[in-house]
Amino acid sequence: MDFRFTPEEEKLRLEVREFLRKEVTSELINEVGEYCGGAGPVFGRKLIQKMGARGWLCPTWPKKYGGIDSSEMVGFIIRDEMTYAGAPVSLVGATMAGPTILRFGSDELKIEYLPRLARGEIDMALGYTEPQAGSDLAALELRADEKSEITMMERGEVSAEEKGDCFLLNGQKMFNTHAHFVEYHWLGARTDPNNPKRHRGISLMVVDLKSPGITIRNMTTIAGWKTNEVFYDNVKVPKKNLVGEINRGFYYIMTALDFERMFPVGGFQRIFDELVEYVKNTKRDGKPLSDDPVIRQKLAEIAIELEAACLLYYQLAYMLDKGEVPNYQSSMQKMFATETAHRLADVATQLMGPLGQLQRGSKWVPLNGEAELHYRWGFIETVYAGTSEIMRNIIALRGLGLPLPLG
Amino acid sequence: MDYGLNEQQQMLKKTARDFLNTECPKSLVKRMVNDDRGYPPELWRKMAELGWMGLAFPEKYGGTGGGFLDLAVLLEEMGRACLPGPFFTTVVLAGMIILEAGNEAQKQELLPKIAEGNLIVTLAKTEPGGGYCPDKATIRAVVDGNNRVISGTKLFVPYAHIADYIICVAKTASGVTLFLIDGKSLGISYTLLKTIDSDKQFEVIFDKVKVPKKNILGTEGEGNLKLREVLRKAAVAKCIEMVGGSQQVIEMTVDYIKERKQFGLPVGAFQAVQHHCANMLTDIDTSRFISYKAAWKISESLPYAMEASMAKAWVSDAYKRVTKLGHQSMGGVSLMEDHDMPLYSKRAKAAELTLGDADFHREVVAQELGL
Repeated sequence: MDFRFTPEEEKLRLEVREFLRKEVTSELINEVGEYCGGAGPVFGRKLIQKMGARGWLCPTWPKKYGGIDSSEMVGFIIRDEMTYAGAPVSLVGATMAGPTILRFGSDELKIEYLPRLARGEIDMALGYTEPQAGSDLAALELRADEKSEITMMERGEVSAEEKGDCFLLNGQKMFNTHAHFVEYHWLGARTDPNNPKRHRGISLMVVDLKSPGITIRNMTTIAGWKTNEVFYDNVKVPKKNLVGEINRGFYYIMTALDFERMFPVGGFQRIFDELVEYVKNTKRDGKPLSDDPVIRQKLAEIAIELEAACLLYYQLAYMLDKGEVPNYQSSMQKMFATETAHRLADVATQLMGPLGQLQRGSKWVPLNGEAELHYRWGFIETVYAGTSEIMRNIIALRGLGLPLPLG
Repeated sequence: MDYGLNEQQQMLKKTARDFLNTECPKSLVKRMVNDDRGYPPELWRKMAELGWMGLAFPEKYGGTGGGFLDLAVLLEEMGRACLPGPFFTTVVLAGMIILEAGNEAQKQELLPKIAEGNLIVTLAKTEPGGGYCPDKATIRAVVDGNNRVISGTKLFVPYAHIADYIICVAKTASGVTLFLIDGKSLGISYTLLKTIDSDKQFEVIFDKVKVPKKNILGTEGEGNLKLREVLRKAAVAKCIEMVGGSQQVIEMTVDYIKERKQFGLPVGAFQAVQHHCANMLTDIDTSRFISYKAAWKISESLPYAMEASMAKAWVSDAYKRVTKLGHQSMGGVSLMEDHDMPLYSKRAKAAELTLGDADFHREVVAQELGL
């Protein structure tokens, strides 16, 4: 056993921390909040491009695709530091779509998308959820019908510049965060509506969000940032944009989640560190908050949970580097880290007293409103990317081998 | 980072598991509840032959020079097996105190005997009205020529009735001091306390017990410093034991609910029960990592105060939650005294109240955070 980083990892960690300390401004942090942890158009994109130039955006990828061939541990360290600094880390291309293309995609897809993702030039939005398909993802209905070039020409459906076989997409997506400001949609669509095994009729594809027939409508979340409904009306997607084999999409999505479902704890740790300082330096009724035994207990409890969340986080990197696939472990880490974060925000707002309700930008707001913002964000984090209940199902089924609930 | 055990530790783990499965079945654990001695001497002897008592002692004191992490591997298996007996108090508590506080002659004299399995030593620290802080010792030791004379009452002294020596924490004019007292000394009386775990914990009354000055462990008046470190390490050791116990609880639970049917389905197919089990596994995995990280830090001689208290705070609550959910998932059958579950749920409470509970250790964490 060894719970230290290697000297090389430690050196890189400090280098990344120093880089981010200089680059992350309060304007960037506000933009990250406004764009749901993603790389917003003004400051975020610039920052991830600078990181991309160093190979830090997708460090585990091969050099030819813009990575630095690093271990998973290095990738986990960089993401942890990014959240600590308040940089955008909710990057679908770098952490979910890209690795899936790398694992299952054609060479054509790899060459077309990976280097641009790794340089931070483009990003993608997840296109999984639909109004009737939330936790039950296999219920998705957005249709992708295969069309050959010839039939389309016969029907006059194809113009000169749209040569080649394609899918014709119709339907609706929902809660597709980042879709209104990134370039591509990482889309799960139904390609075989007749297969009685629903999850065997789903395919995964990359869609240019500027394609004709796509309409995006904002929805505002409890945390203030916007997510989207995305409507597809006869949208043509070239067949070469298919990821892996047709009708294997559900499997790719699930595999990707095993690999990529993890929540760095750095950002929560930073809020906690600031909270400790706040408690030391703030008096209520003439006494420092840090003298209050109840507050001491609560803060210690959060410190312990953050430590546990961090241990679960780096365990995933350890497993991946050993060639093991975390399955229940990533679900456990996601559930534990997000639930801890929500408790942290709850405790933080509590010990600020009445000031805990003040929002960023308000007169008298403590700690730039981080506590209040994360209290609202916590509701979302424990739901998106798989609710805590779905995470517990996965832990029970895969981690403990319990039987499926339906018998 | 490396979250795994090395090859030697994996072997030790396997040996320990196999040995305890055979030599320490639950029937034996249950039998020991009503046994006066509280453990079978032949099991003790076999454990000594395997080198377990001296595992973490340096070779020059009859040990095999293992690290704290090696000891941890063993303790996890002991926790899993609910091993009864004075291993923890003799090897972990007393062994470490002698190692850290004792002078060379005391180490030479005592440690090899412990390693051979020929010496049982216990620790008397808790007092009526006292909590978990060792520096609050109020028992006095007064000077009488070359002797010190100790009077007062200690509580929760494990296996005091069979101990060759009792290490007693007492106050002298120079401060808190550790006294090595012959268990057969005149003026010592024992009363068994009736505890939740039916383990052998005693009230020990010292009535003008004479202790030769040479039996002071280390320096007079400096007992606190050493004791605090040893108690911290022992808290981590206790956490590891608790991890072993909670692992056994979840295995027992899952095995049962896969078979037991209600409403035509295995109970384990119901999501309410599945979520209980998911929460149990989460508590166990986090308990394991947080405890082993602390144990690893001790092994590497790195600062460990924060990690030790984080571990004992977390695991004290987590082990209890695991046993509660285990009972809840298994239902009625697990509530019967002849089932194995009560052994663990009672141990979880006893372990929580040993070496500092969650509130106590969270306060230490707060201090370590600079609050």
